[in-house]
Order: sequence, then structure tokens, then C-alpha cells
Amino acid sequence: MTMTIDTSTQLVRRARLARALVVDMAAGPRGCHLGGSLSVLDILIAAFHRADGDEGSVVVLSKGHAAAGLYAAMYVSGILHEDPVAHYGRAGHPYTGHPSPALPGVAFPTGSLGHGVAYAAGWALARKVAGSDGLGIAIAGDGELQEGLVWEACQIAAAQRLENFVLVVDANGGQNDGLVENISPMPGLAARFSAFGFDTAEVDGHDIPAISAILGHSRVGKGRPLAVIANTVKGKGIPPVEGKAASHYVSIDCARAATWKRMIR
Amino acid sequence: MSLSGRDAYRAELTALAEHDERIICLEADLGGKGHPFQSRHPGRFFNVGIAEAAMIDMAGGLAVAGYRPFVSTFAPFAVLRAAESLKLTLGYLGAGVTIVAPYAGVSGAWFGTTHHCLEDFAVVRSIPGLVIAAPHGEQEMRAVVRSAVTSGRPHYIRTGRNADYTSLPSADAQQSVNWEHAGHPDSVCLVSVGEEGTRLCLAAREQLSDLAHGHLCYLDHQHLADAAVELSRAHRRFVVVEEHRPEGGIAEALGLLMPHCEIVGVNVGHQWSSEGGDHAEVMARLGFDLPAVLAAVRTAQDW
Repeated sequence: MTMTIDTSTQLVRRARLARALVVDMAAGPRGCHLGGSLSVLDILIAAFHRADGDEGSVVVLSKGHAAAGLYAAMYVSGILHEDPVAHYGRAGHPYTGHPSPALPGVAFPTGSLGHGVAYAAGWALARKVAGSDGLGIAIAGDGELQEGLVWEACQIAAAQRLENFVLVVDANGGQNDGLVENISPMPGLAARFSAFGFDTAEVDGHDIPAISAILGHSRVGKGRPLAVIANTVKGKGIPPVEGKAASHYVSIDCARAATWKRMIR
Repeated sequence: MSLSGRDAYRAELTALAEHDERIICLEADLGGKGHPFQSRHPGRFFNVGIAEAAMIDMAGGLAVAGYRPFVSTFAPFAVLRAAESLKLTLGYLGAGVTIVAPYAGVSGAWFGTTHHCLEDFAVVRSIPGLVIAAPHGEQEMRAVVRSAVTSGRPHYIRTGRNADYTSLPSADAQQSVNWEHAGHPDSVCLVSVGEEGTRLCLAAREQLSDLAHGHLCYLDHQHLADAAVELSRAHRRFVVVEEHRPEGGIAEALGLLMPHCEIVGVNVGHQWSSEGGDHAEVMARLGFDLPAVLAAVRTAQDW
């Protein structure tokens, strides 16, 4: 798939709008998982663009704590038709802090890490069994890879030669209690996935055209699932929180939100 | 001002470890930054990362080697995700591992279904040999943690998120029934389980002061059998209040242990909570609130 300049500009604009929505959710009554929502936003925008109009493909945000990023990306991508900011975390609305299929467009309840990866692999297997096109795209965090279930799913995907299964790793280097490298480091990710039997690609996780190009390549005939290591920055786009582990969960007031939104880059 | 259940656990364990070199503290990336045990005893604190089942099995190895491992992760991950580790390590092996599980019930509220746990009693009560406790308030949590260290038996300790509760005046966690109000033998007796169950029973007693109220801290079969003897000697009609599914809960267990008594359960029923809101709003949506307790009392009074 070749992306036009107009399309690329439009997707980058969407990401900018979505970042402002995430900041507004952080200024709501609950706060939100800000850092991981901002790190994964560009991946989500590109993935939803790839799956747009393709009913055979599914996008699963397995790192469900980035729900604010998911809702924002769904809204700017036209999957949601109501602004999630006013409803995030509030009674009477399905915009929970971790997403569930109570919200149309969400395939699987995620937030307990690893399950979304296996679900997307199952979707890919279903398409293969049915002889149909379509990708199962899972987006996981690098901290999430500490969960054993992820590697069980990857083993199965490789064993079943699920060339239509794509696992995108939002490698922001952070997790709840600190940095991945300090808690349970996982160096050589691409080599690990390659050893499991995956094709691999590494990309700047904030370069939407580059991510889109990888997701747009046909997987037909590859014979191996694909792991995309997307190198990202926690809190990306908001200078005061960029790269800071403390941005994992943030609650701010409206004045700070206004300031931060003016800084979005 | 009391500490929340999980903060009380951390504070007590950190203090106990000053004089007990056997105590080891494990977390699975949900201990937060600035964990007091990590600060005070860094050589005996291990954040294993997001690996709950492995953490519990590893704790089994530590326990058999002579240590007193305490592991903590959110209740849904400890009990449901790592259920087999719990069964084999704490159950079959009988290893002296203590699991402290915050985010039980729907205390996770707006965080959603993945962060709720309404099935933990059903799972852990079916595993022989576990000591099960749902302490209410800081003092009761501290007492349960002390007992877990002393006994060396496998423990499951349920608590909530960040809310703090004041333990009942007589917070001797070891007694079968903590009688907040003994009441007249003919009065309906509230039986409170866990933090919110106890809060609701106290609220009901403010409106209906004649009600009896017995609080249960320990909830495994042996403790419940002892409690059933004491409860049924004192009263005939009970309302059991617990933030749990009806199946596998404490009302169901007491029903089997007290076949000649009348028991009404107040619980969260069978629905899933898929909306936002704070803890109280989510409980109310599931039918677990003060009006539900008072309605159950009226039902029991009509018997």
C-alpha cells in the first residue's frame, strides 16, 4: 500500500487531535494512563487506517490500560461517533479505564495483559481456516511481553504459520512501577521474535507513514507471522512528560491541560 | 485516619521484617513506586515484572526453602489468571505463601471488567488448606498479616483499592464472629463480609439499631464452620452481605453449614459492569447497596 502525501498529512493531523483528547481525559475526574496512551497513539492511527473498510481485519489493543489513547484514536478515525472526553470513566457510559466490547468497535476486553495477543492470533487463524483475507493485528506493550501468555500465543502463531497475524510492540521502555530495563529487561526483541519464527521489522513508532507502509505490505505467501518493534516515547508529544516513567498514570487540572495542549508537537 | 488495606499490609509486613529475616516480599509490577518494603529491605524485595503465575510458583520454592514469601497482585490476576499456581503451590503443596490481593470486588470501579474480581471466594474456598481472610480496616489487616507470618500456613487475603475503613472496636481477627452488636435472639442478624459488606451493615444498623451484627474476618471452611456454630446458637434469621457473586460466596457456604436457619444473601448478582463510575456507583448498578441490604432485612423479618 502506497500512502499519498495527503493521506499521510491527514493521519498526522488525526494523531495531533487525538493527543489533545487524551490530555483532556487526563484532566477528567479519573485521570488516565497518559504516558502509554500517548506512546501508542500513532500506532493505533496507522493500524485503524490499515483496517479501514477491511471487515476481514481486526485491531486489538492488548495493552488495555492505554484505553484513553484507544478511544481518542477511534474517534478521530471515525470508528466512534461521540467525543469520548465527556464520558471517559463516568457512570452510564462504556468508556472504562480498560476497554471492553460494551463499546462498539472494541473486539475483546483487555487490561489483563497478554490476552489480546492470543485473541488476535485466533482471529488470524479463523481467517486462514476460512480461506479469507484479513489480518489479526495486536498491539502490545514491551512490559506486557513479560507475561508468559504472549509467548504461548507467539509460539502457536509461528507453529500454525499465521502469516496474517501481526504483533506490534509499543516499545516505550516503561511499565507501571518504572522502567522495563530495571524491572525485567528484554533486550534483542527482534532477535527473540525471529527465533520464534516471526518476520520482524523495526520502526520509529511515531512515524505514521513508516508504520502504515509496514502494515500495508501484503502478507500473502510469507508463511510466518510478523512482529513490528515500534520504538516509542512514553508521553510522546507533550514535552513536560515525554520520556518520563511518572507519566504512566496522570491526573491534571483543566489549566494544565490547556497549557499542555498548546505544547503538542 | 486509617490506612487502606493494601497500605496497611505493606506497613505491617515492612515492620515485621525488621525482626524476621525469613520474610520476603514479591510484587508483579503493581506495587507502585516507593514501596516501603523495597525502601527498607531492598535485598528481600523482588518486583518480578508482569508474571503473576510464575511469581506464585516461585514463592512456593521460597517457602519450602524456609522463607515466608508474601506476594501481591490485583485479585483478578492472583486468583483467576494464576489459579493453577494457587491450587498447586498453596493448595496441594501447602506451601506457606501468603497472597495479598487488592482490587477485589468491584473496587477497581471505572477501570472496568478486567480489574474486577467477583469470583475469588468461589475459587479459593474450593482449594483445601487455604486460610482465607477479608479484613476490614487497618487494624484487622495488620492482625491478619501478623498471624500469617506466625502460622506459616498458606493465606489468601482479600482487600480493596485505596479506600480506608475503620476496623470494628473489637478487632480480634482470630475470633470466629466479631459481634459488633449481639442483639436480641429474635432479631435479624446481619453477617458482614469484607470491607464494603461491613460498611453496608454498619449503615443498616444506623437505620435499624435493633439488628444484630456479626462480622466475619476469616472465611475458609474451618473458620466458617466455627462461625456457623456461634451464629446459629445466637440467631435464626440472617442477612449475609458480601461483594461477590452469589455462587461460591459466603452466604451459600453458611446456608449449607446452618441448614436450620433462614439466610438471605446480598451480593452483586450475575451482571457484568461495563460502565464507568466510582466504586459506589458501580456497586449500586449491580444492586449492591444500602437499599438492597434493607430490603433483604425486610424479607428476613417477614419469616
